[in-house]
Amino acid sequence: MWIYEKRLQFPVNIKETNAKLAQDIISQYGGPDGELSASMRYLSQRYSMTDSKVKAALTDIGTEELGHLEMIGTIVHQLTRDLSIEEIKASGFDKYYVDHTIGIWPQAAGGIPFNACEFQCKGDPITDLFEDMAAEQKARSTYDNILRLCKDYPDVYEPIKFLREREIVHFQRFGECLEAVKETLDFKNFYAFNPSFDTKAPCLKNS
Amino acid sequence: MNKMNKKQLMRFITEVSFAMDDIALYLDLHPSCQKALTSYDNYKSMRNQAVKDYVSIYGPINKYQVNDTNYFSWINDPWPWEREGNC
Repeated sequence: MWIYEKRLQFPVNIKETNAKLAQDIISQYGGPDGELSASMRYLSQRYSMTDSKVKAALTDIGTEELGHLEMIGTIVHQLTRDLSIEEIKASGFDKYYVDHTIGIWPQAAGGIPFNACEFQCKGDPITDLFEDMAAEQKARSTYDNILRLCKDYPDVYEPIKFLREREIVHFQRFGECLEAVKETLDFKNFYAFNPSFDTKAPCLKNS
Repeated sequence: MNKMNKKQLMRFITEVSFAMDDIALYLDLHPSCQKALTSYDNYKSMRNQAVKDYVSIYGPINKYQVNDTNYFSWINDPWPWEREGNC
């Protein structure tokens, strides 16, 4: 169950439209390393997670990512809400506009629609946590790239900088999650079996 | 009653909520850390009071806080993504 709170995790107050930046930043809405992928990845991985600490972390980080999705939607909305048709044509935003007007739709900066194949739920706690750590780094790199593109726009720069910092914190927490799961496994071989499945059906013969 | 204006009060709620969110992630992995638990509890008191003050003056920030029996004030603008939204 979720309860919506009528506020953003970090303030977004953009005074000037910028269709070019909007087209870049929408990648963190529905792109390969975006917030939609992040929230769906962590919330989906909870069901096959074995450690209570990690179940809590996936729930809380997944929930925070939904808040980040809302922040990105807000940034794109505020960058596009007052666009004139001339600005839409001149900025190249017309390709998006023709299908979505100025609604917010999950796609990558290159126009590729959101796809569940952008994240994985493997059903193996070790495998999933490595994926999660990689995902946080990929999102951090994407925010690095966005920061280079929006340096001259403080209204956009500050919330993006906040989101980048959260990727680093989440990476740290997922590192601790991985350690927590490893503590319950065979120290000579963490990959000996899948702790969420192999207790019922081992993958190797004679194990 | 709280001396902050609407914007300042929402800003304060945002700040203490963020502190709680961040500490909670740490506590998920270190559930017995006394220092973090004390800090979480401090921010919780600040947040509870600030939310109580905000809701009583400016209306609900979640639908369970609606007190008006004549009108469902939950629907009132602005929403967080809008100009002059709650942030």
